Amino acid sequence: MRVMRSEWTKLRTLSSTGWLLAGAVLATIAVSVTGVLSVDTSHCPTPAECFEDTVRLSLGGIRFGQVVVVILAVLAVSGEYATGTIRATLTANPRRLTVLAGKAAVLAATVAAAGVLGVLGSLLAGRLILPGNGFSETNGYAPLSLTDGPTLRAATGSVLYLVLIALLALGFALIIRDTAGTITTVFALLFVAPVVGLLVTDPEWREKLDQLTPMTAGLSVQSTIGLDTMPIGPWPGLGVLAAYAAAALLAGAVLFARRDQ
Amino acid sequence: MTVTAYRSHVEVRRAAFGRLVRAEWTKFATVPRWMITVTAAILLSVLLSGLVAAGAGENTSNDGGGPPVSADPLQPFQDRGHFVSQRRSGDVDVITRVDSQTGGGDWAKAGLMIRGGSETGAPYAAIVVTPGHGVVLRSGTDVDIAGSDGAAPTWLRLTRSGDKVTALESADGVSWTGVGTVELGGLGDDVLAGLFVAAPDEVVVTRQFGTEAISGNTAYTTATFDNVTLTGGATSDWTEREHPSGPAVQDDTTGFTVAGGVYTVTGSGDLGPDLFSPDSTRMVLNTVLVGLCATIALAVLFITSEYRRGMIRTTFLVSPSRGRVLLAKATVIGGVGFAAGLLSALGSLLAAKAMPGGLPLPDLFAWPVVRATLGSGVLVAAAAVFALALGSLIRRSAVAIAVALLALLVPQVAASGLPLDVANWMERLSPAAGFAVQQTVPRYDVAIGPEAGIAVLCAYAAIATGFALWSLKRRDA
Repeated sequence: MRVMRSEWTKLRTLSSTGWLLAGAVLATIAVSVTGVLSVDTSHCPTPAECFEDTVRLSLGGIRFGQVVVVILAVLAVSGEYATGTIRATLTANPRRLTVLAGKAAVLAATVAAAGVLGVLGSLLAGRLILPGNGFSETNGYAPLSLTDGPTLRAATGSVLYLVLIALLALGFALIIRDTAGTITTVFALLFVAPVVGLLVTDPEWREKLDQLTPMTAGLSVQSTIGLDTMPIGPWPGLGVLAAYAAAALLAGAVLFARRDQ
Repeated sequence: MTVTAYRSHVEVRRAAFGRLVRAEWTKFATVPRWMITVTAAILLSVLLSGLVAAGAGENTSNDGGGPPVSADPLQPFQDRGHFVSQRRSGDVDVITRVDSQTGGGDWAKAGLMIRGGSETGAPYAAIVVTPGHGVVLRSGTDVDIAGSDGAAPTWLRLTRSGDKVTALESADGVSWTGVGTVELGGLGDDVLAGLFVAAPDEVVVTRQFGTEAISGNTAYTTATFDNVTLTGGATSDWTEREHPSGPAVQDDTTGFTVAGGVYTVTGSGDLGPDLFSPDSTRMVLNTVLVGLCATIALAVLFITSEYRRGMIRTTFLVSPSRGRVLLAKATVIGGVGFAAGLLSALGSLLAAKAMPGGLPLPDLFAWPVVRATLGSGVLVAAAAVFALALGSLIRRSAVAIAVALLALLVPQVAASGLPLDVANWMERLSPAAGFAVQQTVPRYDVAIGPEAGIAVLCAYAAIATGFALWSLKRRDA
């Protein structure tokens, strides 16, 4: 508990944390709103045959918000290494795994709080804007509501997605210990892997790659319709990302416990 | 007693720009992990290209009806359509009046063709009338001569003498105007001459399940011909060469009928550039992204680490003209970026080519491929300069790297699921436009041309550098 408190103090009193958290929430909502505003039914065979996943569309900003979350998570570790605070931290509490657990818990809770705000804001924007773009009840699109099972799954899944991305970045930061290197590596894993996968034209290989790409698989939790046509289901997809995060955290923890600081 | 103030005898002299560049290069090259990162990124992109090209496999073949249509993957050309012909030897003269034309859009074609054989890619000349673009003479993959603006009904005529085929048109069948003459190499004594219809696929944007797709829907056109005369050589039966774009015309709506001197021909598929052909070079060059990400990170660190370590003060003490220091840094990181981009592009193409059974890749010395390879170098160089300028403006590695990467990856980050026109505008206006330089094949989904695209990225780099120079002189170091 004390570890968590000290970790919370370290995170809270960095001026960058507040900016980054506000940035994560605002970036998520702003990109969601832009996406929702730009989509209408004009290219659909008929509005009802659009099969638009209005929930996923409204949560599009998560793809952008995760960028800020990655920065936040990486700085929480690499900042300590850059300034040498890590030595003071470990002098105050030599149990390294406890320190790591405290750091991960505080980071996860903070990101989850920001994620809830971002997701709720995005869904609200979708609920207000989408009916005006043709995704109305008369065309068969129910207004977005958290009482709807799949919508709730997508909303909680998106928050969990951001938390897992933060833990993934935390793990990489413990392995690499350098701000620039970690951020670049995590971004490459998230954004470049899907692009390189475009080269694969064989449908079977493509599906396997989509199942294994952390962002593509993880974001499948946002889908509410057409689940049978997706390469991977919502929860299994999030599970793939969780496996990546767990592997990165585990490797990071082992190195953190073993290496000189 | 007079005291003379001390004056240094060292000559006041501005350091030559070359020496500044050398100093900055030394700073870059003597950080072992930076050089290792560049090398590793190049190797990784080459490795990825090889691996993925091996997995790409045979699935890249054209799945439309009919055989793939042109030997040159950089000039994809469709030799499709419905051709009803007789085999004639020697010199031939073929005349018809295109009476009417329905369906198939503005570029639906109805007219006459003479070709060396029925196989794809055989030498041919065709004169056709279109509903929206007048009379056109086409031959090979590059001859495209416009005639008059008229539409059907109109008279058309093709005459062959030796290797020469002359195309003529007329409003009344009496006075003829020449449209053009083409020389067809490799035309044998026997040629196929007759009636021809073609129609390009209708390009449709459909939004379903949250993504927009452009598809070419098969469009059919029907034309009626009368006053058909074929002279020269011995008569033979009519034979059909049908290379439709989609399924062939069904039996109950037969594609070819003759009744009382009126010939009705229906067909699909186009005679012209194929905009749906895959750009395999560009797909392989996607892996340059790995080198790009690494170079962006190094470019930012190249300046931010000087701030973090306080090194920047020494740097500015040694050469107080700050702008020149930044320009020297830009020269060095631009050079490193160019080398990294060029090497990973070349390596990727060679690795993909070496993979057995991989992608069919064009000749590496063809201009579009050379442009894409050199362009990949310029792409990484410009991105590096852009990132350096952002690093100088923002001074914090994490934020600067994130902003630079986001700007270049924005179509991947934000465009998914957005309407195609919005995504296309993002690709045109963001620094990501630079990736257009890797295009080698004209395609339906091109957002911006190769030269214009790289120019957009270079403009971003130049403007960011301008801001960085401006602010560098005003802020404390």
